[in-house]
Amino acid sequence: MAISWKNYPTSPFFDEYLNTSQRFRTHTKKIGKFLGSLSPNDLNEINNATESAIKSMGISFRIYSEEYVEGQDRSWPLDFIPRIIRKKEWDKVEKGLEQRVKALNLFIEDCYNDQKFLKESDMDESLITESPAFKEYCMGMKLKHSSWSSICGSDLIKDKDGIFYVLEDNLRVPSGVSYMLENRTVMKRVFPDLFQHYGVMPVGAYPTKLYETLVSLSYSRSRQPEMVLLTPGIYNSAYYEHSYLAQQMGIDLVQGTDLVVLKDNFVYKKTIEGLVRVDVIYRRIDDDFLDPSRGNKDSVLGVEGLIESWRKKHVSIINAPGCGIADDKAVYSFVPEMIKFYLKEEPIIENLKTYLMSDKESFELIKDRFKEFVIKPVAESGGYGIVIGKSASKKEKEETLKLIRKDPRNYIAQPLALLSTTPTYDKGSIEPRHLDLRPFILTGEKSYVTVGGLTRVALKKGSTVVNSSQGGGSKDTWIVDK
Amino acid sequence: MLSRDAEHLYWLSRYVERVENTARLINVNSELMLDFPGDKTLGWQSIIETLDNVDIYQRRYMTFKEANVINFLCYEEANPNSIKNSLIKAAYNVKETRDYLPQSATEQVNNLLNEFNRGTFKVRRGQPKDLYKLIEGSQRFFGIINDNFSTGLVFEFIRLGRYIERVDMISRTLDTLCVSKKNSQTHDFSTLEWASMLRNLSAQGAYREEAKGEIERGSVLRFLFKNRGFPRSLNTCLREIDKCVAVLPNNSLLKEEVYKVIERIMSSRVESYDDDKLHTFLDNLQGKISNLDQRIHKSWFHLHA
Repeated sequence: MAISWKNYPTSPFFDEYLNTSQRFRTHTKKIGKFLGSLSPNDLNEINNATESAIKSMGISFRIYSEEYVEGQDRSWPLDFIPRIIRKKEWDKVEKGLEQRVKALNLFIEDCYNDQKFLKESDMDESLITESPAFKEYCMGMKLKHSSWSSICGSDLIKDKDGIFYVLEDNLRVPSGVSYMLENRTVMKRVFPDLFQHYGVMPVGAYPTKLYETLVSLSYSRSRQPEMVLLTPGIYNSAYYEHSYLAQQMGIDLVQGTDLVVLKDNFVYKKTIEGLVRVDVIYRRIDDDFLDPSRGNKDSVLGVEGLIESWRKKHVSIINAPGCGIADDKAVYSFVPEMIKFYLKEEPIIENLKTYLMSDKESFELIKDRFKEFVIKPVAESGGYGIVIGKSASKKEKEETLKLIRKDPRNYIAQPLALLSTTPTYDKGSIEPRHLDLRPFILTGEKSYVTVGGLTRVALKKGSTVVNSSQGGGSKDTWIVDK
Repeated sequence: MLSRDAEHLYWLSRYVERVENTARLINVNSELMLDFPGDKTLGWQSIIETLDNVDIYQRRYMTFKEANVINFLCYEEANPNSIKNSLIKAAYNVKETRDYLPQSATEQVNNLLNEFNRGTFKVRRGQPKDLYKLIEGSQRFFGIINDNFSTGLVFEFIRLGRYIERVDMISRTLDTLCVSKKNSQTHDFSTLEWASMLRNLSAQGAYREEAKGEIERGSVLRFLFKNRGFPRSLNTCLREIDKCVAVLPNNSLLKEEVYKVIERIMSSRVESYDDDKLHTFLDNLQGKISNLDQRIHKSWFHLHA
C-alpha cells in the first residue's frame, strides 16, 4: 500500500512541499508524486540503502561529550528526502549572503582600524572592545581583499511566511560543508534516476572554489602557494571534514607540531625532506589555541610565533584571527545597519527581530511576554544555552531572568520563529520535520556561495533542535531550475 | 610528505609486524619447551630477557611460569610490547594515516584489534591455532599494502618499518636459544631446536632447498644470517632496508650505516660461534639495529628538533 499525503499536516508551519490546501508546490510535485507511489516497505528499503552507503563510505562525526572510543564514530545521519528550493528564490538569497558577508568583513576591518561604525552607530562600543573575541594584536591590520572571515557559514531559516531569514552568522571556523558534499554523493547513489529528471544544480565545485579563494589570499607571488589545513587532530569532532577537505584540495593536513616559526618569522612545515615554507594556513582551530604566546599558554595545538608571522604578512591565516568579534548574537542585530553603512544598500535578506537584553525596555517586554520569545546567550554556538519561552517551566523562566539580570549584555531575545517543515522519513512513514539551512560563503579575490548548503533537520517530532550533536539529521539540498 | 605522517606509517608497520613476530616467538618457545627436560620456567625466562622486559615483568609476576609469560606477552597492559598494546598502537597509527591507506588495510588493522578485544583469540600452549590467526592477520595487512602500492613514500616507510622490526625480532629470537641454554646449563639439543626455529620462521622449505641434507647448527645459522632471498634472513631484511633508504631523501648517513651492518654480518663467522660468542654478537647487533632506528628518526621524523 502506498503512503498517503492526506493526513500530512501543513499548518501552523510553512511546509516546503505542500501548501495549506494540501497541494504540492510546483517545484515539489514530481518528487511528491514519486514518494506517494512508495509503500512503507519501499521507504524502509531506501532508508537502509542510504544508511549502508554512508557506512561503507565511512562518513562519520563525533560528539564531544562522548568518551573517545576507537572505531566508534557515529554514522552521519542523512534523511533521504531532499529539501527543494527554486533557483529563482535561491538567486536572491545568494546575492543577499554575498552582500551580508561583504559588510561583515568590512565591519571587522573597521573595528580593528578606524572604528567608524562604532563611532557613528548606536552600537555599544564595549560590545566589541570587551568581547573575548576582540584581539588587541589585530589592531591596525588590513587584510588582502579585506577578507577576515573568508569562509562563513550563515544559518538561515524559513519562518511561517515562507521567507528566508538569517538566524546567525558563523564567522570563525564553521563546519559542515563536507557533509553537504557527501550528502549529494550518497543521494546520487541512492536515487540516480531522480537526478536525471529533476535538473538539480551540482554542488561539487566547492573544494575548487575554496582552493582558489585560499590562493587569492596568499601574500606569496607564487601561483601555487604552499597551503596547509591546520587541524586540532583526530579527536576533534570535525576531523572527518578536515581530512576530507585537505584531500579534496590536495593539501597537507597538519597539526600544530608539524609547523614551526623560525627566527625569520616565516612559518615552515616539517617534512621528510626538511622544512618547507608555508604561505597559507586554512586553520580549523580556535583563535586562542593558534599561538601559545598570544592566547592559551598551555595549548599544544598551535604554533609559537604564528600570530607575529601573520602580522608581518609572512603567512595568511584563514579565517583571520580576531574575526570572531562579528560572530556574536548581539552584534548580529546590527548587520542590517552595517549593510547600509558600508555598502549604501538595502539588506536583501532579513534578520530576525532581535532584542538586546542590555536594553531596559526590551528586557521588560521579554519579561512580560516570555512565552513568545527565545532567549539566547550571545557567545554560545551549537544550540547550547538556548531557552525557548514557550516550553520553559516557571522555574526555568525565573532562572533565565536571573541570569539575564546578572549579565544582561550576554543575552538577546528573538520572537519564536516557526521553523518551516519538509517531509521527512520516520520509520516507514513520512512526516513534517523542522529544518534550517547553512550555506557557506567564500570571500577572496572573488566571492562564492555554495549552491544551497547543508540542510539540517530536527528528527524528533515537534523539535526545532537541528544540531547533529543533539539528535539532528541532515538532508540533501536541491536547487532546481523550474 | 610530512614528517609526522611518515613516522606514523613507520610505526604502524612496526607494530603490525611486532604482532606477528611476538606470536612466532611464543610459538617457537612453546614447541621447544615440549622437548626441554627439567625446569620449564627457564625457557620462558629467556624470552622475557631477550625482549629486555625483565623489570616490568617482575613487577607483575612472581615466577616465569608459562601461563604468566604468555599472558604477559599477549594481554598484559603494563607491557608496552604485548600483542594487545601493539594492536592498540597499530590502530592508533592507522587512524592518523588513513588518508594514505587503502580502506581495506585500515579495516584489517581495526578488525584484528576488535577481534582480539572480543576475546576471539585464546592463546595457550599447545593451541597454536590462535597464534597462527594473528600471524595471518598481520600478513594480510602487508598483503593489502603490497597489492596497492609498488613504489612511493607510503610504501617505502611501511616497508622500512616492517624490516627494521623484523631484523630486530629475528636477532632476539635467535638470542632466546643462546640465553635459554646458558641458563639451563644443559647442552646439545642437537637438531631439535634448530628445526623448530626454522619451522617457526617458516624457513624449513627454503633452508632445505639451499642446505640439503641434515639440519645442523652451523648451516642453520649461516642460512638465517646470510641467506640472500629468504625474507626472514637478516641479510635479506637489511637489503630490503637498504632498498627503501635508497629512494628516500637525505639518506647518505643511513645508507652507510646499513651497509656497515650488512658487512659485519657477512664477514662474521657465525657458523662457528659457540653460544656465548653468538649471544655477544647478537647483543651487539641489536645495538646496531637500535642505532639504525634512531638514525631513521633523525633523518626523517625528528630532523627539525
